[in-house]
Amino acid sequence: MTTESNCETPSYDITCRMSHEAAALERLCQVVRVRGFRIAQMAVDSADGTLNIALTIQGKRPVAMLQSQLEKLHTVAEVKFAAPVVAAASRIA
Amino acid sequence: MNGAQHILQAFHHHNIETVFGYPGGCIMPLYDALVDDVSVEHVLCRHEQGCALAADGYARASGKLGVCIATSGPGATNLITGVANAYQDSIPMLVITGQVPSALIGTDAFQETDVLGMTLGIVKHSYLAESADELPGILEEAIELAQSGRPGPVWIDIPKDVLLAETSAAPAYAPAQPKATRPELTCAIAMLRDARKPLLYSGGGISLAHAEDSFREFAKCSELPAVVTLKGIGNAGKHSAHNLGMLGMHGSRAANRAVDECDLLLVIGARMDDRATGKLDGFAPNAKTIHIDADASEFNKLRNADIAIRGDLNTILKELTQAIRDTPLAINDWRKQCQTWRTTGGFQAADNEEPLAPITGPAFISQLSRTAPDDTIIACDVGQHQMWVAQHYQFDRPRHHLTSGGLGTMGFGLPAAIGAQFANRNSTVINVTGDGSFMMNAQELATIRRYNLPVKLIIMDNQCLGMVRQQQELFYNNRESHINLDDNPDFVAMARAFDIPALKIDRTDQVRRGIETILAYNGPMLLHVAIAREENVWPIVKPGGSNKEMIDETRRTAADKKEKIA
Ligand SMILES: Cc1ncc(C[n+]2csc(CCOP(=O)(O)OP(=O)(O)O)c2C)c(N)n1
Ligand SMILES: [Mg+2]
Repeated sequence: MTTESNCETPSYDITCRMSHEAAALERLCQVVRVRGFRIAQMAVDSADGTLNIALTIQGKRPVAMLQSQLEKLHTVAEVKFAAPVVAAASRIA
Repeated sequence: MNGAQHILQAFHHHNIETVFGYPGGCIMPLYDALVDDVSVEHVLCRHEQGCALAADGYARASGKLGVCIATSGPGATNLITGVANAYQDSIPMLVITGQVPSALIGTDAFQETDVLGMTLGIVKHSYLAESADELPGILEEAIELAQSGRPGPVWIDIPKDVLLAETSAAPAYAPAQPKATRPELTCAIAMLRDARKPLLYSGGGISLAHAEDSFREFAKCSELPAVVTLKGIGNAGKHSAHNLGMLGMHGSRAANRAVDECDLLLVIGARMDDRATGKLDGFAPNAKTIHIDADASEFNKLRNADIAIRGDLNTILKELTQAIRDTPLAINDWRKQCQTWRTTGGFQAADNEEPLAPITGPAFISQLSRTAPDDTIIACDVGQHQMWVAQHYQFDRPRHHLTSGGLGTMGFGLPAAIGAQFANRNSTVINVTGDGSFMMNAQELATIRRYNLPVKLIIMDNQCLGMVRQQQELFYNNRESHINLDDNPDFVAMARAFDIPALKIDRTDQVRRGIETILAYNGPMLLHVAIAREENVWPIVKPGGSNKEMIDETRRTAADKKEKIA
């Protein structure tokens, strides 16, 4: 995808808590991708069998749809969204 | 007990009596344990895709969990289409595969594939069992998960060493309590009462929730005009006076018209698939929406709901019935209007009276519907014949109509019929298939023979991939491309090679006798029905078009004529 196409793409910060099972992160990333979002940043730490993930994602689809899909994952305990921000590039433009 | 024996113990514990599988290297410890277990019936299919689709058919027809088993590598990859099929239609399924020994994972070992990675998008959940100690807990959780809430396939990949390792671990799993939702039922009922033209729109979720009876009761009590999705066929029962039939791409004019004109859609257990809604902009343009489903992620996905209620459909339907029973809905004009549409725009069972005329798809299916016993289960394949069944067979129960709705998997019907027959030993089970679809899992004829299943097979042979041909004709300027099957094998001889008797018919006057013959035969039998290559399914909505723009035969012929004159 070109940078241009990202210009007006809203960006969202998510935090997600999920159990640290085989393929946990792949599962999360797969859902984000297939439901129409791109991961721009990702930070992960793990403690006591739990993964804490902070993600910045970009996408034009309604983000509530992604939230309900992520919450549906069996290993996901919690998904929190920070208020949406429009991608920096579009503010400059 | 080793890991493999724990699997069988979990089967016993959950009354899993029939499983469909195919052995191989990494799953051998489980097959070894099966030797000593007489209470689990293992059905050997002839291809892992057959196993998965048979497990799917078993689950659809019975409402129970379907179980399939395969080895690592090619065994697992062969399962994938069947598991994706179950995922798309939310069928409860447990999938068990052997994996290469733990120490070899990641070394490109013989028959190693990354099953977990490959299947993320087609499972409700999946596990790689990393030790025998965790296996009993995983099994409990997987079996519960596959069947609870919105059902779906759950896959457990088990390295061979885990199957062999001894463990005394007990299954420990406390199912999470479903999150309490406060159903906004009161608002929904008020909205229903305010509506002048409310329409009930139900789908496969009704039977998935085992809510067939509560749905019937609500439909009867509310007397709401109703439409169904492909997977909802049978929800209303064949005697329902208010059922307008299937909506969507090949739906009835009556159903699509009612959706277009209604002012309230009461959607229950349906996900507004594009084959049902057509172009979303033009779908039920004047209607508010109440959406009731087990899965909250379906709300507002494709159409915004004015009221969304997540929960157990059984409970919600009972509460709705209670509310309506006290004060019936005052919508008589709307009911009358829908009745008129039903009479003029329902599916007419086109009977062909001319004895020597070629057999037509709709007339054949209508005759089958009149002749087959009430408890008949029809397992369809995918194509024109599938739509003729949906349009012209009168189903009284959703579990009697097995069809691959979400994935549209050619080759579904034969293994699904096998699964359905195992689930209902005394019912008549018929696979209605096409000449293309039949060849996708024809190896399963051997499974029918081996277990002497009395499955009836009906091949609607138009010597082509008819559904694709139809769309090429209508939407690609009649440029036929790779749809010709006029070199099909001799299906009668083929069935006989599997020791299954067969007969062929190609004239209208042979239809009734042909159907009666296979139904009366005590065992499996195949009926090869030759039909015209040019026949189309009517009406049809152009893919991506609005349901308002249904094309039917007369309109197309008129357009053709105009073109020719021009
Ligand atoms: C596995 C698979 N491959 C391809 C398709 C695309 N497809 C849909 S219908 C169809 C033709 C089916 O032919 P046949 O079984 O003969 O049925 P007919 O339409 O002729 O009744 C095809 C190729 C599919 N649905 N599934
Ligand atoms: Mg065909």
